[in-house]
Amino acid sequence: MYSFASISIIALCCYAFLLAAFAAARKTPVVNSFIGVLIGGVLWTGGSFCMRIQMAPGSEFWFHTSMMGMFIICYAFCWFLMEFTDSKNRKLNALWFVLMIGMGVVNSITGVFLEAPEAIDAGNGDTVFIYEYSWTVSIMFVLCGAVVAHMFILMIRYYMSDDLKKRQMRPLMLGIAFIFIGELMWMFFSVKGFPVDIVAALIMVVCMMYTLHQRRLFKLTSLFSRESYYIMSLILALGLFMYFNNGLSRLLRKVLGDSQTAVNMAMCLLFALFTLVLYMAMKRFINRVFIKDEIAKANMLKEFSRTVSESLNVEEILDKMVNVIYDVIPANKIHVFIKSEDEREFRLTHSLSPLTDRNVVISATSPLVKQLARNGECLLMEDFKCLTVYKSMWDREKRQLEELEANCFFVLKDADDMVGIVAVSGKKDGSRFTYDDISFLDSVGSVCSIAVKNSRLYEKAWYEARIDELTGLLNRKYFYEILNREFEKCGKQSLALILVNLDDFKLFNQLYGNKHGDAALRRVGSILKATVGSSGYVARCSGKEFAVILPMFDTLGAKRIAETILHQISVMNRNLDDDCFVTSSLTASCGICTAPFGASTVKELVDNADMAVYQVKRKGKNGILVTTGSSVIEGVPKTGDDMLKQKTDIYTEYASTIYALTAAIDTKDHYTFNHSENVEYYATGLAYAMGLNEDSLEIIREAALLHDVGKIGIPEEILNKTTRLTEEEFDVMKGHVMNSVGIIRHLPSLDYVIPAVVSHHERWDGRGYPRKLKGEEIPLFGRILCIADAFDAMTSKRSYKEAFSTDFAVKEIVGNAGTQFDPHLAGIFTELVRNGEIKVNGNKEKTPRKN
Amino acid sequence: MRFEDKLKLKKQEQIWQEYCGFLDLSIDEYMEIQNRLMNEQLTLWRKSPLGKKLSDGLEIETIDDFRKNFPLTTYEDYADVLLQKRDDMLPAEPVIWIHTTWEGGMHPIKVAPYSKNMLEAYKQNILACMILGVTEERGKVNVKAGGNFLYGLVALPYATGLFPRALADEIHVNFLPPVKEAEKMPFSERNKKGFKMGLKGGIDYFFGMSSVAYFVSKSFSKLMESSGGGSRSALSPKVAVKYLKAKKKSRKEGRSILPKDLFDLKGIMISGTDSSCYKDELEEMWGIRPMELFAGTEPTCIGTETWTRDGMYFFPDACFYEFIPESEMLRSMEDESYQPSTCLMNEVVKGEKYEIVISVLKGGAFMRYRVGDVYRCAGLENHKDGTRIPRFNYVDRVPDIIDVAGFTRITKNSVQHVIELSGLEIKDWTVIKEYTENNKPVMKMYVEMKPECLAGSAVSSRILKEHLSIYFKYMDHDYEDLKKILGMDPLEIVIVKCGTFEQFKKNHGREIRRINPASHQIRELLNAQDQVFAGVRAL
Repeated sequence: MYSFASISIIALCCYAFLLAAFAAARKTPVVNSFIGVLIGGVLWTGGSFCMRIQMAPGSEFWFHTSMMGMFIICYAFCWFLMEFTDSKNRKLNALWFVLMIGMGVVNSITGVFLEAPEAIDAGNGDTVFIYEYSWTVSIMFVLCGAVVAHMFILMIRYYMSDDLKKRQMRPLMLGIAFIFIGELMWMFFSVKGFPVDIVAALIMVVCMMYTLHQRRLFKLTSLFSRESYYIMSLILALGLFMYFNNGLSRLLRKVLGDSQTAVNMAMCLLFALFTLVLYMAMKRFINRVFIKDEIAKANMLKEFSRTVSESLNVEEILDKMVNVIYDVIPANKIHVFIKSEDEREFRLTHSLSPLTDRNVVISATSPLVKQLARNGECLLMEDFKCLTVYKSMWDREKRQLEELEANCFFVLKDADDMVGIVAVSGKKDGSRFTYDDISFLDSVGSVCSIAVKNSRLYEKAWYEARIDELTGLLNRKYFYEILNREFEKCGKQSLALILVNLDDFKLFNQLYGNKHGDAALRRVGSILKATVGSSGYVARCSGKEFAVILPMFDTLGAKRIAETILHQISVMNRNLDDDCFVTSSLTASCGICTAPFGASTVKELVDNADMAVYQVKRKGKNGILVTTGSSVIEGVPKTGDDMLKQKTDIYTEYASTIYALTAAIDTKDHYTFNHSENVEYYATGLAYAMGLNEDSLEIIREAALLHDVGKIGIPEEILNKTTRLTEEEFDVMKGHVMNSVGIIRHLPSLDYVIPAVVSHHERWDGRGYPRKLKGEEIPLFGRILCIADAFDAMTSKRSYKEAFSTDFAVKEIVGNAGTQFDPHLAGIFTELVRNGEIKVNGNKEKTPRKN
Repeated sequence: MRFEDKLKLKKQEQIWQEYCGFLDLSIDEYMEIQNRLMNEQLTLWRKSPLGKKLSDGLEIETIDDFRKNFPLTTYEDYADVLLQKRDDMLPAEPVIWIHTTWEGGMHPIKVAPYSKNMLEAYKQNILACMILGVTEERGKVNVKAGGNFLYGLVALPYATGLFPRALADEIHVNFLPPVKEAEKMPFSERNKKGFKMGLKGGIDYFFGMSSVAYFVSKSFSKLMESSGGGSRSALSPKVAVKYLKAKKKSRKEGRSILPKDLFDLKGIMISGTDSSCYKDELEEMWGIRPMELFAGTEPTCIGTETWTRDGMYFFPDACFYEFIPESEMLRSMEDESYQPSTCLMNEVVKGEKYEIVISVLKGGAFMRYRVGDVYRCAGLENHKDGTRIPRFNYVDRVPDIIDVAGFTRITKNSVQHVIELSGLEIKDWTVIKEYTENNKPVMKMYVEMKPECLAGSAVSSRILKEHLSIYFKYMDHDYEDLKKILGMDPLEIVIVKCGTFEQFKKNHGREIRRINPASHQIRELLNAQDQVFAGVRAL
């Protein structure tokens, strides 16, 4: 008898324990329905047990509690199956709820279906319960039978739908078989007093739990509090002691004699000890079964979170992340891909194994990336393969993922932007990724995302504070920081400093425009970086000055590097794209000073190198000087006189060619010949007023004369057309600019006029042609020619129009300043015309103006 | 993981998504897959010697460049490389070479290479066909391993022989008769044997060329007699009981036994020209509506119907599809030098007819290839099956080819050749494919005899038909199979009066098209005949 009662107690304990565990689980409809089953189980077995021991407030109360438990269990089983099989019939679920709970409540109040049994003393100290049945009990059975029938239908439908579901259903079928066998035994065999139904229901609950576990439908995250263990231990100990009270008292009396005090003391002591042991055992069991791993993972995550939040180094954070994943989910391979700066791909930047080939990229357009961005959570490879987007994967991409052995992916995000992808391979033990694993990876991803975001912000700020935006080299401030540090570090060892100053860079900008000027600076920067490599540091110290710090370099080594740099700069422009029209070579002046030979302090080193640059410039630019401060050691600059003579020779040599070309236009279009000379006059006038030097004036003069030379290639009927040009004719006419460039290209020493010629039809607002340059992107000389060209076109007679008045032309230039013309230059030019410093030639013979 | 294992281990939804998920795509998503895979194909093709040879000097970087600069191709463009099976020239190494007859070509057969990835996609797509062939609703996967599969198609190295081989790699099905045995048997014997085996063990699936399926089903009673009648004990008890019931029922209804009386078929899949002619009767005979799918030697398996049987959808990962509008197609037939413009899947218009152009993805050899099939766009979305991508109905081969029941392909050259061989004094002719009152295809040939022969030789429609049929069979074994396998004799001769063709030319300034002239042109030809007749009377 006692052993049978203990079965109820064990069942009660199991229900209570599972209920406590599931109460803390993440709630889903199916978990809720299972909790319903557990509540029913607790009420049923608890009520039954308390009724048997006739606990206060009385057996009737506990009978109705137990009955209510049975009704709840019956309903909750059905609910569970409906949720498990995704049955959409919610109305039937609600109906069963109302009927079953309603029946329980009605029976508790009225006892109409089954009255509480009468407790009768059997005479041997045991109590027997006598039930009185009436026909109304059949209503209860019919209703319960209907629910059971519904459950069967649900199960059979689900079971028959496919093989996978059959396998999922098997544990539940087994549980039901146990219930069925239990009931059969109860009906046909002598199992009097043995609570077969309770055992069968318990087995069913275990089967249900196994089914849920198989489908990964629940996660026990419960971290039981100390208090809950105490209370549960206390209740269980109390129940057990109440039940075994009589037997234990008798045993103690035999051992301790008749002293009631001693017996009570012993009972209290035993109770306390038992409670303590129960508490310890329960805690140990729960920790082992459910939360040991959970706590370990939580601790690791906490530690990881703490350490990465302290780091501002992306590499370090990724390393920690890979390690923590490996500690929790021992995977064969873990790879981290970070988005490239151009955002076109994700590059493999970190791996568990340092021997991994890093030349692996995932394109930003890959379906994997799109799916991860859409999903936002962990993506298992097996799930990804089932999606239609997988069809659009390239074979190469598929093979790449196979080689990575990636089984699971999660993303690192910066707000909504995906900054990285982590690929985790299969686990070493070959097991599948569990719900816990996936949750853990998601958590690691979230923590790491925040850390990576912060460190990237920091690295960006760090980078911006130290790096020159245009060239990507160190900036002036950081150059000094590095120079001081390296100077200290080198001590008595040598340290060389090269200052590289671009020659005539202002002129270069005027010739080719700021856009090409910036491009040239970037190219020089990359030449310096590539030449120096990891041997030293390269900085941009000012607009056109670069510095190279070479620790452990002697003077000879530094000089060789400087020579290489100068050579590369001199050939640099030959490699530029055809359409940028940069033909003249840029040159540079280099000054070298080496410590300790030429300087004993950082300031001295910089000053001496600076002085060397000055010396090179003074002696004609494009050269290298090595200085000790007091004397020049070595240098090979050309002299300034030589260079000037060379230029003058070029002008003289080509003067005849220029006139020959303009004369050639004259044979075709007389207007154009006069026009070229007029434009030369207006343009040089404007340039002079702006204070440009002799060299610039000469370039402008030649550019003006040659700017329309391309009209040689335009058909005469278009050139001399008296009416408005058609769209096609205008397109042909526009071609004269490129024709001019094509002709001038064959005069190598005049090629410096090309930027001005090619730009003279560009507009300040970017709507000109051929390159649609805008604002100061248009070379200065081109902007000057533009005004001169337009002014003469207006004030001269043409085949298609009479000459406009000077006032009209001036007004037009003022009116179009800021749209067609450079507003600053337009202002100067109109002022020059108004005050008579520039005379209007129109179609008259040229009146030379002495500048 | 094999498909069979997936059936055991994965949820239905996952399997559906993997194989039939393309039906849920929007047209933009569909085009994204198409464009992405086409870019992959272009990358592979450009690097290959075949690609370099064909795109000699052309600027092809993007899909737009490709469509703009690369002309449409036919098999002649590939013949020198493919007929020699030059593996080294191809974009991807071929695993298998598939054969087909080359109608009017320079060689009796055409061969097409299949790469490993093409075969992977092929397997996926035929499994999608199988799922869609047996399902009754979206998301439901009713396919089960171990079913009996009656298979009425030609064996390897023809494309249809790939189906059982590919299917066997993924799922266990019992082919009736077993594939290895079937490959050694003549086609008609194989069908009979398959049916007999089906009578013993039952049939779950049936896949065949629509005309063959129709013929085999139609002669079911005869097969029953030759199998069941002789040794009824050979039937399984289940089928034997059904047989008795069916016999009783058919006697009561006064008809012969139909396949549906004996078999609970899960799915019937058909392919081939003229499928639409046979669908209704097949449904009547088997009790379920056949599902049409489209597969070919060059394009692989490219399209399938769904459970609604309301038009075919093209798989996004088999080929990159372009469509030549009907007007452009006709113009290019008139003027061979004309390059017709094409539109893409997201540019087709409901109700329009298109000739399909394919670029085989995943390392395929054929690029911008004119398969010679015409489809009609049945709609751009379908509420019945909830799709948002265009669906198509197969119309026929391109008008300059006559395909009868998917067996034979007759071109202008082949007819000319037959006439020359026959020695008949035929002056002029034109052939058109028409359908009888029973919706069965026939090849109607309008001939005009030379006047000088009429007095000296016997000329009647029957004589001409006999003569020409003999030479059609001599020239083309597939034509002979029409009679042998299907019992069909599709040729019908209409003799027109002497001078009719000349009169037509006078009336219209040009000759009538030899193959498949438009139906109004046939009417005009017959009108011209009347004019000639009237002229004679006036004399």
